[in-house]
Amino acid sequence: MSSAMPGRRSLSGARVMLYAVLCVFAVIYLTPLYVMLTTSFKSLEEIHQGNMLALPEQWTVTPWLDAWSGACIGLECNGVHGYFFNSISIVVPAVLISGLLGAFNGYVLTKWRFRGHKIVFGLILFSCFIPFQIVLLPMARVLGILQVANSTTGLVLVHVVYGIGFTTLFFRNFYESFPNELVRAAQLDGAGFFTLFFRILLPSSIPIIVVTVIWQFTNVWNDFLFGVSFSSGDSAPITVALNNLVNSSTGVKAYNVNMAAAMIAAVPTLIVYVLAGKYFLRGLMSGSVKG
Amino acid sequence: MSFLHINNIKKRFGDTTVLKGIDIAIEKGDFLVLVGPSGCGKSTLLNMIAGLDSISEGELLLNGERINELHPARRDIAMVFQSYALYPSMTVAGNIGFGLEMRKVPKAQRREAIQKVARMLQIESLLDRKPGQLSGGQRQRVAMGRALVRDPQLFLFDEPLSNLDAKLRVDMRTEIKQLHQRLNTTIVYVTHDQIEAMTLATRIAVMRAGELQQLGTPQEVYDDPSNLFVAGFMGSPSMNLLRADIVRHEGVLHARVRKRNEDVLMLPIERDAEALAGWEGREVILGIRPEAITDPASAHHDGRIFEAELEVELVEPTGADMYVVTHLGGREINARMRPGTDISAGTPTRFAFDVSRMVAFDPDSEARIRHT
Ligand SMILES: Nc1ncnc2c1ncn2[C@@H]1O[C@H](COP(=O)(O)OP(=O)(O)OP(=O)(O)O)[C@@H](O)[C@H]1O
Ligand SMILES: [Mg+2]
Repeated sequence: MSSAMPGRRSLSGARVMLYAVLCVFAVIYLTPLYVMLTTSFKSLEEIHQGNMLALPEQWTVTPWLDAWSGACIGLECNGVHGYFFNSISIVVPAVLISGLLGAFNGYVLTKWRFRGHKIVFGLILFSCFIPFQIVLLPMARVLGILQVANSTTGLVLVHVVYGIGFTTLFFRNFYESFPNELVRAAQLDGAGFFTLFFRILLPSSIPIIVVTVIWQFTNVWNDFLFGVSFSSGDSAPITVALNNLVNSSTGVKAYNVNMAAAMIAAVPTLIVYVLAGKYFLRGLMSGSVKG
Repeated sequence: MSFLHINNIKKRFGDTTVLKGIDIAIEKGDFLVLVGPSGCGKSTLLNMIAGLDSISEGELLLNGERINELHPARRDIAMVFQSYALYPSMTVAGNIGFGLEMRKVPKAQRREAIQKVARMLQIESLLDRKPGQLSGGQRQRVAMGRALVRDPQLFLFDEPLSNLDAKLRVDMRTEIKQLHQRLNTTIVYVTHDQIEAMTLATRIAVMRAGELQQLGTPQEVYDDPSNLFVAGFMGSPSMNLLRADIVRHEGVLHARVRKRNEDVLMLPIERDAEALAGWEGREVILGIRPEAITDPASAHHDGRIFEAELEVELVEPTGADMYVVTHLGGREINARMRPGTDISAGTPTRFAFDVSRMVAFDPDSEARIRHT
């Protein structure tokens, strides 16, 4: 039986090669993560012994506690936790507002079309192709005028403005294929502009909401350039704090603390991927419209 | 004053005129069926009545009141869509009750109304399900429930049964007819299906390319088509249309039809004789329904029967009937005969023509030739 199966035979040939190559790449890809994790649980003495790939002989969480609330960034020695919450207070409103605005844009651009809707969409889309560097100076000026420079509010604004292009693109393309008959049925039932959006379209938008949240969350959370340009001191996001932590350590470099801080900075995006992925349900629309 | 009056309504999309002045008036309790080839503007007309498309020109009156500018939600009209358009995120009960909820009907009252409609449509056990968990027929019922629960003045149906399989379609057709009779509602219904149109309608409007061809009862449209298009469109299998010359023979007006072998068949003119007298010596197009050509034994003898012998080309038994194809006036002609009749292809057979059901058309204008 076994020798006659073509699937079996190919497994012993090219397939083994393929898996081997994939495994090699996976190891290459995961090694830095492994080093980071193990280093963050080692003491400095152990690190100085030089065996980077070894597991910790003496597991310790002190570097993590230090990174969270003791390490010195600039002049203050309170760890990264304040900046972590800065990032949270930037990313949550930025994702919510840009997502909601994008959803509204998509809704209007597909279901309440007006003369010139294509041009408007084209212009919004164009904003996706503007490099960060180009907007730095004008944005600094605008933040200054609005008196939100060097604050998390200012960064929220920057990320909302920058994100709208993408969120609009996502939602417009999603709503483009949302059946117009559903909209018409709801209108006959007496639903107005907002009811239609919140009761009919939005509950059917979970797949695209998930995509938008993942996209926006990772972009905003991982942003360094805007953060370093438009914030200072206490209002900096964690990416900037991490950079300052690594660069400002005087004397010996506390690799274990740096690694722990980097892990802390990476955890929220990982959580978003894991949680949101679970809700990434396909075929949610099945059954509403036939044919 | 009619209940729904579509008064010279036009629809333009940019430069193209999709509806070129439609005039239809129906009474309360009427079941109006719109039929016509794809793209003739049936859905557009329905959407205009619902208020989902704007009216370019003309007037729409419901109950004597102009509703051109009235918002769809305030027209007191419910619509059942071809795709059913059920809200995917709501349960069946939520779907049915949504219109009432939007009209701020209190919750208890709403629940009662939903129950009542669900009982009527036998979908009580499905109320907590989502549309995705329903079969096609069940979705169709929910879509109807959503319309019924609002108890509107007017129902609009856009090909509601076209997504169902043949058996279910027949069942639902019967149910819709019963519903109409029981509730005495006024309905405008679009369909492609001949039988649906004939069985459901109290009035049929035949449309072509944005123009109304004929409005009448199903029997009128079937027996008395106002032009060649209606004659050919209504009925399945369709009416036989053949070339004939109008001649006077022994003092009586006849339609002279060529047989295959250069012989001629003389069919006496019974209907519209006055109008056809003016066509003497000219060619017309003659229309005869398949069931008006039979075997002599099963001919209706209350009509005026004329018998002739013709050669059979093909026999198509369908079970209930037997369609016999012969050749006349340069065309293949379908005759409906009693099943089990001993007829085979290639043999000369006697055909009985009910000439009292024969109609004639102007070959150029395609209009019916009749007394005006
Ligand atoms: N938004 C639009 N812009 C331009 N033309 C349109 C628009 N909507 C419909 N039409 C045209 O109007 C005509 C009538 O369309 P409609 O949908 O009313 O046809 P229908 O009779 O319902 O056809 P079917 O039987 O296929 O459903 C078609 O030729 C169609 O191309
Ligand atoms: Mg249509």
